Amino acid sequence: MGRMDIVQQVFSVSDFIAVVNQTLEYAYPNIEVEGEVASFKVNQGKFVFFDIKDSGGSIGCFMTVWQLRVPIEDGMKVIVTAAPKLTQWGKFSLTVKAVRPSGEGALKKSFELLKAKLEVEGLFAPERKRQLPLIPRHVAVISSTQAAGYADFIKILNDRWVGIRVDVAHVQVQGTDAPDQIIRAVEYFNQRELIPEVLVIIRGGGSADDLAAFNDELLVRSIAGSRIPTLIGVGHETDESLADLVADVRAATPSNAAQILVPDRLDIIRAVRAQVGSLLPRIMQVVDQQKQEVRERLTDIVRKIEQVVDEKAMYISNLRNVLAQLNPNAVLSRGYALIRGNIKVGSLIEIETNKAILGAEVKNVVNK
Amino acid sequence: MSSTNKSIQEKTAGLTKLVAWFDSDEFTLESALDKFKQAEKLALDIEKDLTSLKNEIQIVKKKFD
Repeated sequence: MGRMDIVQQVFSVSDFIAVVNQTLEYAYPNIEVEGEVASFKVNQGKFVFFDIKDSGGSIGCFMTVWQLRVPIEDGMKVIVTAAPKLTQWGKFSLTVKAVRPSGEGALKKSFELLKAKLEVEGLFAPERKRQLPLIPRHVAVISSTQAAGYADFIKILNDRWVGIRVDVAHVQVQGTDAPDQIIRAVEYFNQRELIPEVLVIIRGGGSADDLAAFNDELLVRSIAGSRIPTLIGVGHETDESLADLVADVRAATPSNAAQILVPDRLDIIRAVRAQVGSLLPRIMQVVDQQKQEVRERLTDIVRKIEQVVDEKAMYISNLRNVLAQLNPNAVLSRGYALIRGNIKVGSLIEIETNKAILGAEVKNVVNK
Repeated sequence: MSSTNKSIQEKTAGLTKLVAWFDSDEFTLESALDKFKQAEKLALDIEKDLTSLKNEIQIVKKKFD
């Protein structure tokens, strides 16, 4: 038999396109292709078209605008997650599910583009920032429970404070699924009847690509829209993500997030001891003050009594002087004499001087 | 909601209030010893709570993928 004989079926064009698409879907349900963006355009505000190319070829790509989670532009190196498809016009294209920048330059460019866009909207404005409660009683944590950053956070939290209810949502913290999982966890906690007082999102350090999930536009908007105050501790101290910028409070690392979230109980114990320790000296100080006041009052009373006694003594002394001057002896001592008896001629009288008492007879009396 | 931690906060607030009393115009020597004993007991309770209690960590059962 010749080769032509093995052709068993004649397809219509539509059927053939459908069969090719089925084959593609079976063989390549989800592929990732890396290349450079070209001819990027958005039609009707909904549909995104661009080509992805390298030195050897170019493929058309299509996606919806809400699937585009990071800004891209011509010349940017990206990785698209897509399904290949043959259109009804016979054109081969990639139906893109997700696109992410590839390489340090593209990641940085995408970061700067989105940062500028969100900054204009005021999402990073200081006046939007809310304060965290001083000591929260109920905290929600979004992280991968297998990540070292999560373990660090829990260890520091347990070392520092106790009695907190911590609800943990286990999510992926890197890769294409991470942003949506974190968004769902943010929504979950925000929709609870009893909402936590703080929402903590943590992830340890990693490469720029590992941390790219935290620069996802929808995730950043989700954090901005959280009615629960947010604390973000992603990566190392030098890493800066858009999630950091939009959070109410940014921690440098997961460990630092725990330090920000709660005080150190050892500090509190020391402070409590110091507070109580300061009370006895305070009481003794008041006792000393009151003793001093009593002493001063007693001194005043004694001084007043002495003053009254002095006044009375002076009064008596004055009286004594007056009495002394009225004493007849004092008059006699000045040379006067005291006469006793009838003052008529022939009477015997007694004359008392300072030094003697004389007997005498009245010889004559002349009226003055 | 953890009621134990709430009580640590309440106790801390109570202690702060008691300490403030010692510096207030309401201070009297007659009441000071009683207030001091209350403060001492609260401080011991707080210290005991802070050294004996644990955090209550629960992994949410819901899947987010």
